[in-house]
Amino acid sequence: MNDSILKTENLIIGYDKDIVGNIDLTVTAGKILTLIGPNGSGKSTLLRTLAGLHKERNGIIYLNGKSIISLKAEEIAREISVVMTMTVKPELMSCREVIATGRYPYTGMFGRLRDEDNSIIDETISNMGMEDISENPFMSISDGQKQRVMLARAICQEPSVLILDEPTSYLDIKYKLDILTRLKELVREKNIAVILSIHELDIAMHISDHVIALGEGKILKEGTVREVFRESFIRSLYGIENSSLEFIGSVPWFTDENNTEDVNNIFKAFVSPKTDQPDKEEGKGSCPVLMIQGTMSNAGKSLIAAGLCRIFANDGYRVAPFKAQNMALNSYITKAGGEMGRAQAVQAECAKRTPDVSMNPILLKPNDDHTSQVIVNGKAIGNMTAAEYFGYRKQLIPVVREAFDRLAQSSDIIIVEGAGSPVELNLNKDDIVNMGLARLIDASVILVGDIDRGGIFAQLIGTLELLEEEDRRRVKGLIVNKFRGDLKLFDEGVQILEERSASKVLGVVPYLKLNIDDEDSLSEKICRKEEGEFNIAVIRLPHISNFTDFDVFAQLPEVTVRYVDSPSELCKPDMLIIPGSKNTISDLKWLKTSGLYDRIKSLSYEGTVIFGICGGYQMLGRRIEENADGEVNAEEGLLLLPVDTVIHKDKVTREYRGSIAGATGILSSIKGIEIKGYEIHMGQTDTYEPLTEFTSGKSGYCRENIYGTYIHGFFDSKEVLIRIVRLLAEAAGKKVNTDTVRDRAVYKEDQYSILEEALRNSLDMELIYKIAGLSKP
Amino acid sequence: MQNKRSKLTFIFLIFLLIVMLLVSIMSGSVRIGAWEVIHMISGKKDDLMNYNIIYNIRLPRTIAAFFLGGALALSGYLLQTFFNNPIAGPFVLGISSGAKLTVALTMIFLLERGKTINSAGMILSAFAGAMAAMGFVLIVSFYVRNMSILIVCGIMTGYICSAVTDLVVTFADDSNIINLHNWSLGSFSGIDIKDVKEIVIITVIGLIMVLMLVKPIGAYRLGETYAKNMGVNIKLLRAALIVLSSILAATVTAYAGPISFVGIAVPHILKSMTGTSSPGVMIPGCFMTGALITLFCDCIARTVFAPTEVSISSVTAVLLVPVVISMLVKRHMAQS
Repeated sequence: MNDSILKTENLIIGYDKDIVGNIDLTVTAGKILTLIGPNGSGKSTLLRTLAGLHKERNGIIYLNGKSIISLKAEEIAREISVVMTMTVKPELMSCREVIATGRYPYTGMFGRLRDEDNSIIDETISNMGMEDISENPFMSISDGQKQRVMLARAICQEPSVLILDEPTSYLDIKYKLDILTRLKELVREKNIAVILSIHELDIAMHISDHVIALGEGKILKEGTVREVFRESFIRSLYGIENSSLEFIGSVPWFTDENNTEDVNNIFKAFVSPKTDQPDKEEGKGSCPVLMIQGTMSNAGKSLIAAGLCRIFANDGYRVAPFKAQNMALNSYITKAGGEMGRAQAVQAECAKRTPDVSMNPILLKPNDDHTSQVIVNGKAIGNMTAAEYFGYRKQLIPVVREAFDRLAQSSDIIIVEGAGSPVELNLNKDDIVNMGLARLIDASVILVGDIDRGGIFAQLIGTLELLEEEDRRRVKGLIVNKFRGDLKLFDEGVQILEERSASKVLGVVPYLKLNIDDEDSLSEKICRKEEGEFNIAVIRLPHISNFTDFDVFAQLPEVTVRYVDSPSELCKPDMLIIPGSKNTISDLKWLKTSGLYDRIKSLSYEGTVIFGICGGYQMLGRRIEENADGEVNAEEGLLLLPVDTVIHKDKVTREYRGSIAGATGILSSIKGIEIKGYEIHMGQTDTYEPLTEFTSGKSGYCRENIYGTYIHGFFDSKEVLIRIVRLLAEAAGKKVNTDTVRDRAVYKEDQYSILEEALRNSLDMELIYKIAGLSKP
Repeated sequence: MQNKRSKLTFIFLIFLLIVMLLVSIMSGSVRIGAWEVIHMISGKKDDLMNYNIIYNIRLPRTIAAFFLGGALALSGYLLQTFFNNPIAGPFVLGISSGAKLTVALTMIFLLERGKTINSAGMILSAFAGAMAAMGFVLIVSFYVRNMSILIVCGIMTGYICSAVTDLVVTFADDSNIINLHNWSLGSFSGIDIKDVKEIVIITVIGLIMVLMLVKPIGAYRLGETYAKNMGVNIKLLRAALIVLSSILAATVTAYAGPISFVGIAVPHILKSMTGTSSPGVMIPGCFMTGALITLFCDCIARTVFAPTEVSISSVTAVLLVPVVISMLVKRHMAQS
């Protein structure tokens, strides 16, 4: 649905003289268009003109393709309704009477309300929860209530365009939220187009699909939130370039960065729910869904889900893992460059599928105790506090739904993993991970309890008891996980569980010692941990490339790889890697604006080992210069290695066989190790001072603990990996077990097979197939 | 009919109106009993003198008071709607006085040439005066949004018009001057059955036209912007309000001279009785209440100091000014 309802051509508005000119805008159904701009910039005048309340000075306004001048007042009234700023003071009118005036364009000569009109009015009143005040005199209610009544009136008019002039000004937070939530619902449920003006920029950022900034007598900027809410632009729009901001708290804009284009698409996908979902009934019917929920965190959901993925895959089914929302720092980057939770990536491997962001459409990466970076469909959309996210979560339902539907199209069965406990009763509103998701995708649920931590009966039966009746019926079976010792001893326990819960126990799974990345958020507290895991930070460049370079580290259970894109996440890594980039100069600029540039430099003074691979290597140098069509584009690098890079058009692509020609700093003992890899780059890097050659063939240099190389796959050779990690771990006083490093694929397959075997032995697979609605081969 | 309270109010009004119509016909220098009145109206000519009194004097006067009172109240209601202000009325805005002035000027101009004015001429000249005064008020209101200033201007206009009227009346030299003088103070005396026919036709047409505005007036209560958004043709509505209120006020002035405060007070009295501002209730209600109050005031005007007749404006002022003031005080208290 992309039909424009309202459209202007060369519109000029104003009273005695022109206020704003050259307005060409399009208003689309199901979208919120926001006008921002300083006082007097013409927002209200534009709204009034669009609503046909004020005559345009020039140009044409089209309503559904017809010029608005050619339409009768009542015809316009059936399409456009308004909520304006002026206070209305209707004498002796009840709220209901005020709301009823919205039916004006539909009633007959004497304005008598028909039954139909009355039912629409009653419905609106009850939708907005205003039954209690509907008979009160309008003049006796609070301003917030009045605004709600005026909104209800506008809704009763059943418009296709709703125009609101500063709908939240003067309202307290409760009514603000109420009005904004209502607007979002209207847009989603009735596919109404909303145009509003607003002074609260923070609200505008969250509610808008499209933003128009008015100033200096014209549209200064138009676009998505990301495009318009740039610090420098907003500051100049409101003339606060040099003003102090100490009194307004967090600033309502994005910092001026370059990575807008891909984020915009996300934002669009993110806020515009598609109402015309293609045959979801069919998708649902053709693809059975098994959902694994746990009685608590770490009950072993991920592992059970991974094992089931492997079993179904080996039985010849196309199976896909899915988890709506993951909270983890340990993320995985897909081939397409999207970021997702590692647990689902592992499950995908178990399912013999390529990991895809659809398997984990929402990833929350905690920055600190208060905020998380929110990643939707693999792309970061911004930082939010927990409270903000809870408010936001509801809008993500379509995103989750779409991701799920994409998977369902290519799968015979989907194994869905829940998160935490499904009965966190205070958090269950708008749930999209546990039962809320189960209802959305009509999943059969298997509940997993952790006997190792004790209280298995309370865990399983208690959880069932706390579920809503409808949800409880979804639970088709129970699994007792992490059992140690003789399984026979628990036979009676199984009996009791089945009797008390009236659910089938699908199996008792023994405690498995496996080395699989099954945990989501093992490193939540990494910032504050002095000791503990060995952690590697990879700078998440906006145009990151060849991220598979770092997959090898996953063989080491104690090693965490974090993808970092802000200084606060960086903390104190044991090794920092600047990866390759598809656009080195732009990413280097981004390093500077994001504040990472300074943090990286200060880490280098502290002696942290810093690796630059390919584009990252170029950034370590003094200067990167690009000659494009005669124009020279140069950027100063991190100045950590005395090298200069000139980027030219010829792309170097070649296999590499060589060795470590020399090494400095902590890693000086790795000299001589043979390495294999490949080079893909478009630049030539040369030293301007004597420097230790790192990788042979002048493909890399090093000085102290700074190492730069063009060789991708540098860490892939087992020896390099083990030596480097050991050396660094020793230096940091951490213990890392490198015994597991073998041929990575073989090792992983072993682990997956152990898991599969264990589950096949302990679970009643026949029953699980029955629950899933598939036939066991 | 919006609610139960409105219905009860209407039943009450109809009952009072019937009583008042009877009382109005009964009272006067010759007392005629209620039964006799009912008897006479149903067509019996038992007592020729009483029959003549009723049919030639009291019945025309009563009917005129009924319709003109209703028209006056309706005019006030329309003006209050137009200005969205409770103290607007044909008298305070100087519209009645404007009509009075032009009628007086026309009369004297014609009398000096030995001609008498017919009722059509009276109404036309009154309408012209009403529109002129209204035009002045509108021009002021275009520049000044403040209602108090507007009212002051209206009252000043009224004074000027009255002063000029007094002046021309003083210097006119004709025996009809007494009539003119009485008329200029406001009175229902001397209205004959022919006048009554014209009055009924004009006011009934006016009432019907106002009833056609029920829907847009209802929407206009939320102010111009919202009304426009609901599809009301604001320009047409405003023009209709002005023209209709002027015609109604001019008609009253042409036949009975300026009558004060009925236009302002009646809408308020009705609102406090019915508890609603719905035009479906207000329009017929104002007409009936205006008729009732005017009948009542006319009765007092001609009976209290009989045989001397007091001008009706004196009675309406004494009775209705307290209503207006108490309403103003109440509103002010409610606002602050």
